[in-house]
Amino acid sequence: MRRLLRSWRHRVAVVGHSMEPTLRAGDWLLVDPLAFRRRSPAAGDLVVAADPRQPARWLVKRVAEVQADTALVLAGDHPAHRRDPGSMATVAENDVIGRPWLRYWPPRRLGRLS
Amino acid sequence: MFSRIVSALAPRHTVHAHCDIPCGVYDPQQARIEAESCYKIIQKYHDSDDALFKARSIHVKEERAELTKHHIDVMWHDYFKPEHLEKFPDLHDVCWKASKQASQVKRTLDIDEAQKLLDLIDKIDEMWRATGGPQSTRMQQLEPVAQ
Repeated sequence: MRRLLRSWRHRVAVVGHSMEPTLRAGDWLLVDPLAFRRRSPAAGDLVVAADPRQPARWLVKRVAEVQADTALVLAGDHPAHRRDPGSMATVAENDVIGRPWLRYWPPRRLGRLS
Repeated sequence: MFSRIVSALAPRHTVHAHCDIPCGVYDPQQARIEAESCYKIIQKYHDSDDALFKARSIHVKEERAELTKHHIDVMWHDYFKPEHLEKFPDLHDVCWKASKQASQVKRTLDIDEAQKLLDLIDKIDEMWRATGGPQSTRMQQLEPVAQ
């Protein structure tokens, strides 16, 4: 319940297709801003992070690799985009805004994310 | 009532699944052209007696409806900003209905449904124009060459 309340301010809409089939364009998600308070993001985690090239823009990606402890290589889930440089980014751990954990729209796809 | 619920649930931020920087060029005409294709294809479907043509028409119309939906979603999620929502409180509702209507056109051969889609896209176009879209998101055309 606490997680729901603190995530409510971080309601986000997905744009783009590179996270399919996990996330589709138009999905609405809740992002937990405290998910990485006690542990660092690890390979396989879904994250929302500020785009290092344009910080006001947020990315949703999966951590592919952790380098030098605090540099995260992010990639998409879509098989066609997984090796596409345009779909990959390297961000600092400090750029991570939180972890998307619940899809609340569309209702037929309501559920926890992993 | 329903639009109030949708507004209350609406996201506060967009998250991009793709890392490329958006080009910043937006125009509802992209959606309008695909929706007009749907309208015309439905007309031609009803005017034809050719079974093969009719089957191809359905296939192409479904592709065009999907493209329409994509272009509506790009306007909704990438172009419109919170300050636009203050000016047009029904912005989310209009975009949501337009996106749903594109899905409706995908599954139907009813010309009235295609017209409803065009009308909703025109509402998005009005909001785009009223928020300075033509000046801020399109390259200004060069003066036409003198004849």
